[in-house]
Amino acid sequence: MNHDVCLTCEGVERWLGEDESRVHALRGVSLTLEAGTVHAVVGPSGCGKSTLLYILGLLDQADAGSIAIKAEPVSHLPDDELAQRRNALIGFIFQFHFLLEDFSAQENVMIPMRRLGRLPENGMRDRARELLDAVGLGTKGARPSRHLSGGEQQRVAIARALANDPDVILADEPTGNLDTENSHRAFSLLQGIVAERGKALLLVTHNPQIAGLCDWTHEMEDGRIVNARQRA
Amino acid sequence: MTPPLYIALRFLLHRKRAFLLSLCGVVFGVAIFICSQAQTEGFARQFINSTLGSNGALVLRSRFQPLGSGLPVPPKKSAVPGNNTQRRYLEGITNPREIMRVSRQFSNVAACSPVLRGTLSARSGFENATVDLFGIDAALHLQTTDLKKQLIAGDFENFRNDASSVIVGSRLAQELNLAAGDSVQLLSPGGEYWRFTVAAIARSGVGAVDAARIYSHPKIAQTLLRRPFAASMIIYKLRDPARAPALASQFEGLFQHDAQSWQEREAGNLQLFMTLRISAGITVSLIILLAGFGIFNVLTMSVLAKVKEIAILRSMGYRRSDISSIFLWQGAMIAVVGALLGCVTGAVLTWGVSKIPIRVRGLIVTDHFLVAWNWQHYFWAMVLAALAVFIASYVPARRAAYLAPVATLRGSSV
Repeated sequence: MNHDVCLTCEGVERWLGEDESRVHALRGVSLTLEAGTVHAVVGPSGCGKSTLLYILGLLDQADAGSIAIKAEPVSHLPDDELAQRRNALIGFIFQFHFLLEDFSAQENVMIPMRRLGRLPENGMRDRARELLDAVGLGTKGARPSRHLSGGEQQRVAIARALANDPDVILADEPTGNLDTENSHRAFSLLQGIVAERGKALLLVTHNPQIAGLCDWTHEMEDGRIVNARQRA
Repeated sequence: MTPPLYIALRFLLHRKRAFLLSLCGVVFGVAIFICSQAQTEGFARQFINSTLGSNGALVLRSRFQPLGSGLPVPPKKSAVPGNNTQRRYLEGITNPREIMRVSRQFSNVAACSPVLRGTLSARSGFENATVDLFGIDAALHLQTTDLKKQLIAGDFENFRNDASSVIVGSRLAQELNLAAGDSVQLLSPGGEYWRFTVAAIARSGVGAVDAARIYSHPKIAQTLLRRPFAASMIIYKLRDPARAPALASQFEGLFQHDAQSWQEREAGNLQLFMTLRISAGITVSLIILLAGFGIFNVLTMSVLAKVKEIAILRSMGYRRSDISSIFLWQGAMIAVVGALLGCVTGAVLTWGVSKIPIRVRGLIVTDHFLVAWNWQHYFWAMVLAALAVFIASYVPARRAAYLAPVATLRGSSV
């Protein structure tokens, strides 16, 4: 197992809403994600799991605290720089897969690559095909994403999250919208990728079985990590 | 192809109906703009060509003396050079040959011709009319005006070879029931009728000219009008008629004769044409503006429909500027395709309109719609369309760029 630190956050604070409806969503959260490890964040609804995920994914700004990716502090960076880091270093997977419906599976996987611009058109196509092969959808690349089943769409989303070979994969309830069989299939896929490619995976889940299979489980309550345990 | 352009193209092609609707607005606006400008300029250009072909680009008329000149002490309201109110005019040009010789030294002067002008009565059968007599030197006048091209009956050579012949304006000929070869009588100020043969009928295209003008030989005109001078004006053909006002000002200073450019002479009519053109331009610009509103609506709806996609793209590292570019590119594609199709449609429409028969016998004479083929109409139509589309796209694009992705992602995952 590779123990390079991919992502750390220290004392992250976040308030949401305004005036009377203002909520202290995160209260000094600290976390370290190492390469080749899978972390689960569990807790009741509204405890701040997704907020933490979006802040770690540089989609939202923390009100206090610091975040570093590959030892580089990123909290202070301007929006364009954050977008660039997000594109190159982070892969997102959402509960509702969030594919672009008008695009084929292959085109969906190519979208992050287009922004990064490291590969030529043919190179992007080849890589997308390779990633779809890896998630078991090699024959369905040309199919419009809306014509795929829920499980297939989630696997396309996983392939898309890996498109730019990110160091960190953040998943917001990636199995929440799938049946048991597809949930385990998707999770196994992610677990395999993390192990093979040395990624760090942080996933938010309500599923205790999935959480039990992760290397680390962080239990959140009222904006704090109240318990962090490593799998025995 | 940049990522925003690629995505914009895909978004646009997947909303074909909205795209076509926006496109139609731009095509329609651009085409109507081109067609209306071509028409108004066509009529104006016809009028200008006709008036230049009949009356020249510049006319040198009566000699003037500044009032107060020669006084030992200038009057309190001293004369300002070039100010018409402070002049005394003396009718006629006493030394036309010398003035023309000097005028020809000016590079802008292509030709000039002396004219003796006066008003007479004409009679043919039982019909009478007041006519505007132009005593012309046939050879010089042909170099200066389009008189020969304007003949619709008879022969200019008959006029040139016969001193007792005249050329009659087409509407005057119609009024007096005259045809080439007929006789017409002109009443001299002494009260006697002189008989002339109609050598030719001319149609200049300018209503006022065709309704009253008769051309005769200069000596005949001088005798008929009983003028002591051989020319009451000199008309000029210029290589660049647009510079006529500057030359008129120079001639006034040089020759001490009143000089009038065609722009000054036709100021009223030119203003009328300009007003019509501006009016048509404003009306059509409103159509383009409406097309812009259509595009604004389509793109705003597109932004609302693509909120989820925008959030996904942002989560994948697309910058705010990329997101706004996606919508600006959509507008740009509508503008480019719409403007190009609009130009083609406008050209076809203009050609079609030019074939519509219309009988106009007033300020100008024409038997069909007049159009002008001018690249500037196409250029300005495209500029206007691009501007309208950019403004229409900018607001939705900016709105899209500043959508908070977290709000959308959070809202969808709860």
